[in-house]
Amino acid sequence: MTATLAKENVIGRPIDRIDGRRKVAGAAPYPSDFDLPGQVHAALVSSTIAAGRITRIDRSKAEAAPGVLRVLTYDNAPTLTDPPQNALGSTMRRPLRDDRILHYGQHIGIVVANTRAQAVAAARLVEIEYAEEEPVLDIDDPRAAVEDNPFGMASSRGDVPAALAAADVTVDGTYTIGAEANSPMGLFTTVASWQGGRLVVHDTTQAPSFLRVALAVMFEVPEENVRVLIPFLGGGFGAGLRLWSHTVLTTLAARVLDRPVKLVLSRPQMFHSVGHRAASRQRVQLGADRDGRLTAIDHDAIAANGLGDHLPSPIVAVTPSTYACDNVATHERRAHLNIPFTGFMRAPGAIEAHFALESALDELADQTGVDPVELRLRNYAEVHPVSGKPWSSKALRDCLEVGSERFGWPGRDPAPRSTHDGDQLVGQGMASATFEFYALPCTVRLVVDRRGNATVRTAGTDIGTGTYTITAQLTAELLGIDVDQVRVVIGDTDQPPAPQSGGSGLAGALGAAIQDAASELADQLARLDGHPGESFASLLDRHGLDELEVTGYSDLAGAATHADVAPAGAFAAAFAEVGVDEDLGLIRVRRLVSVIDGGRVFNAKTARSQAIGGAVMGIGMAMLEELAYDPNTGRVANGTFGDYLVPVNRDVPDLDITFVGEPDTFNPTGSKGLGEIGIVSIAPAIANAVYHATGRRIRDLPITLDKML
Amino acid sequence: MTDIEYVRAADQGSALALVAEDPDAVFLAGGTTELDLALKDQVVHPSRFVDIGRLPLRGVTRDGDRLRVAALTTMEELAADPTVRERLPFVREALLLGASTQLRNMATIGGNLLQRTRCRYFRDPDVGACNKRDPGSGCAAIEGVARMHAILGAGPSCIALHASDLCVPLVAMDAEVELLDADGTRTVPLTEFYRTPGDRPDVENVLRHGELVTHVQVPLLPDGARSGYLKVRDRTSYEFATTSAGAAVTVEDGTITWAKLGLGGVGTMPWRAWEAESVLVGAPASERTFRAAAEAAIRDPFTVPGTAFKVELAKRTIVRILRTVTS
Repeated sequence: MTATLAKENVIGRPIDRIDGRRKVAGAAPYPSDFDLPGQVHAALVSSTIAAGRITRIDRSKAEAAPGVLRVLTYDNAPTLTDPPQNALGSTMRRPLRDDRILHYGQHIGIVVANTRAQAVAAARLVEIEYAEEEPVLDIDDPRAAVEDNPFGMASSRGDVPAALAAADVTVDGTYTIGAEANSPMGLFTTVASWQGGRLVVHDTTQAPSFLRVALAVMFEVPEENVRVLIPFLGGGFGAGLRLWSHTVLTTLAARVLDRPVKLVLSRPQMFHSVGHRAASRQRVQLGADRDGRLTAIDHDAIAANGLGDHLPSPIVAVTPSTYACDNVATHERRAHLNIPFTGFMRAPGAIEAHFALESALDELADQTGVDPVELRLRNYAEVHPVSGKPWSSKALRDCLEVGSERFGWPGRDPAPRSTHDGDQLVGQGMASATFEFYALPCTVRLVVDRRGNATVRTAGTDIGTGTYTITAQLTAELLGIDVDQVRVVIGDTDQPPAPQSGGSGLAGALGAAIQDAASELADQLARLDGHPGESFASLLDRHGLDELEVTGYSDLAGAATHADVAPAGAFAAAFAEVGVDEDLGLIRVRRLVSVIDGGRVFNAKTARSQAIGGAVMGIGMAMLEELAYDPNTGRVANGTFGDYLVPVNRDVPDLDITFVGEPDTFNPTGSKGLGEIGIVSIAPAIANAVYHATGRRIRDLPITLDKML
Repeated sequence: MTDIEYVRAADQGSALALVAEDPDAVFLAGGTTELDLALKDQVVHPSRFVDIGRLPLRGVTRDGDRLRVAALTTMEELAADPTVRERLPFVREALLLGASTQLRNMATIGGNLLQRTRCRYFRDPDVGACNKRDPGSGCAAIEGVARMHAILGAGPSCIALHASDLCVPLVAMDAEVELLDADGTRTVPLTEFYRTPGDRPDVENVLRHGELVTHVQVPLLPDGARSGYLKVRDRTSYEFATTSAGAAVTVEDGTITWAKLGLGGVGTMPWRAWEAESVLVGAPASERTFRAAAEAAIRDPFTVPGTAFKVELAKRTIVRILRTVTS
């Protein structure tokens, strides 16, 4: 190897996770597994009203309870600096700022004790009195403060009103989606330790580099004095993308006590402490000619947001990029409510938009008599509909055609209620998905030693998607070494900064940075006069070096601004068959075919796992999941896994998952993000199948049995 | 922090004494509900757990046309019993549609009878208004998010559901509960074991403090009878019933000659549909009969917006199970 780097066929191979053995053996340390010498334990005091002010706090009973070391509330805690903006937008209102209560479950104090049980018990002894106000909990509540166009995503091309008025056929539908909880298995944890002016924090975060900056600002220490560690994360699905108050409070308690402090959220606390997918309502109006060619799309969305919060999670952003249509208008609003802060949940915005758009398209297919697959092909955006540039890659046509064939779509009787199986009506529905390109800058450090072993270092983390493994595969292929010669050090902000694991953006940005590093290494080897076939050992030996170190950098979003192609995200199509027991309202998914264009797939196995996870989560969204708020108190009324239902194995049929497409021409590694695309078209495909089965169009997720009666 | 004493009872007598002597002591069997309530949710506050898990109260015996099930028999053990499989198939169905395999391997039959409601307002100590936890404090669920709540036996004081699947066929079959305390044993029909909430939702059954459920007796199905249990729920497994029905019938020449019907997912206690049985017996096994029985079963429901859908769903559930067991 060397002067000509690269080893064929490592990228893409379905190799097992390189961290898999550690995970199943219990040797992979998740945040809650960390215990530090001298550590004490924290529990949170949470508000039991949703709106108002604290009028009195009595800490005395809690302070006198066994083992209690400190009780911090807004009136006795040191003042922190407000957290800064980051690439994910504004961060949350800092905890313990004042006496205001914005939502039920707001963290209004932290109790530290020698044991976790002591802390939990003492937290219940903190006496709080409130001046309670009536909470505003619903986006339709006229008292809600509604912010228009909060993200600048209102857009317009052509003349939508005129096109709607002139259309042969129109569809006008209103679609609602209940709030959903991310529900990762791992309980979010913070273990914070100050050593002098230096902070080390183990935290369940998907964005370690952002967390480091935020904590440095809030606690007024230099960034280099903050180290965030998250080598393994027990699931996030977006819940770990924001700075949450429990992290700040634990860090504060550790500073005040000058001892390591550990906090593990309880399961019920997970439902109001780490964000959720906001409840939303959308109206979609379509205009089309008799052949189903779209002449107008008008898309209006309103969603909930926490009071005083500005989470940039637009719904309509993707709409203008979906179909070839001359007249498209989008509108977006946010209603600020007394609900726990919202967050990012897998495919935020895109999934809401696609449920509305792809349901509306199904209604258009029904009205025009054009087959739903054919309808999408007739409106296929051959070039990017906004920029007019050619896509860097787009195999949505293959998704539709391959999916149609694998599912056996041709020959489907389009008439609703046309197929029976015993007590069940059987229906088939489909939907497609367009996901937007997203990337942030990423830096990696690559070191190669005399044995030819490589170490790759970056701050970004692996949220279970396979980042460790694909990092090793990419490095191995680019350097011409074996996968087991690559050591991957991630989830540590002492390493070079990386973007969050979110937005389906890490693999692309990280891959491009690794490629840049490999290219830099090749340059170094050339400068060192390496010759073809020469080993690293020989080369380093000749020059008396122990190792070679290079840095790689990518900024794909920066490059995108002057690209002559439109950088594409992933595309997908899903085909679902459902059986509906109409008498009892029961819906069961019988078959699901998911076809994804993710560009070049780095690991066929972990990619497939992503698609499986997306499909399962999509089934939950379609049929089960909805966070319920008590209408009087704003309390999460179903905050346990016995009450908030996620799919179990028996809810999931055999999944047929296929990847199609070619390496992307914009991203140097040819990849497109895969973390979210697999969920985007599932819920609309299922809802469309329910319509085909029953003739009933349910525009309100989840489709629970009571909605079918 | 309140410490809870844990004692493992060496024998039945000491178990009874250890609970009887302390008004806040409780028996601990499988623990699948009790430990959640005491340790995680902290809505019950026992002073002492008396672990009866090792007492010789396990196993199933047949006595003529009755089955006698010792209270510490697990749900999985009862489901696997050959007599249950052959002569009480809807008991087996109800067992296997409940909980999860892991829980069924821990949970006991006695514990199943005594399980507390899943009402999330009851199970969250931050909710102040719960007549079941704190008599006279009100009921937050009635104006709250109600779905997995009762429409029969419910009232303004409480709409908490008894969520057992197993108890549905048991109450239909006139099962009896054997109770033991220092004064001796008594036997109570399961249909008279539970109390509707009335103005004391905290009192859920006739069990006295210190009294131990030792056995459950279940009459076997008569020859020629058929039975079935239908559980309706959004999630395919590991969810409590939205509605359920357990039915056992004998049909001769198209006429129903014997019928037992229990309902789940609708009652503050396992619900025996006496009125429906009266409609069924002597009537032809027809859709019209089934619907009339369903109407009789769900008479005068107490609903709130979140549970109103259960009225029609429960009726359809009854019709469906009757159709199934008579076809």
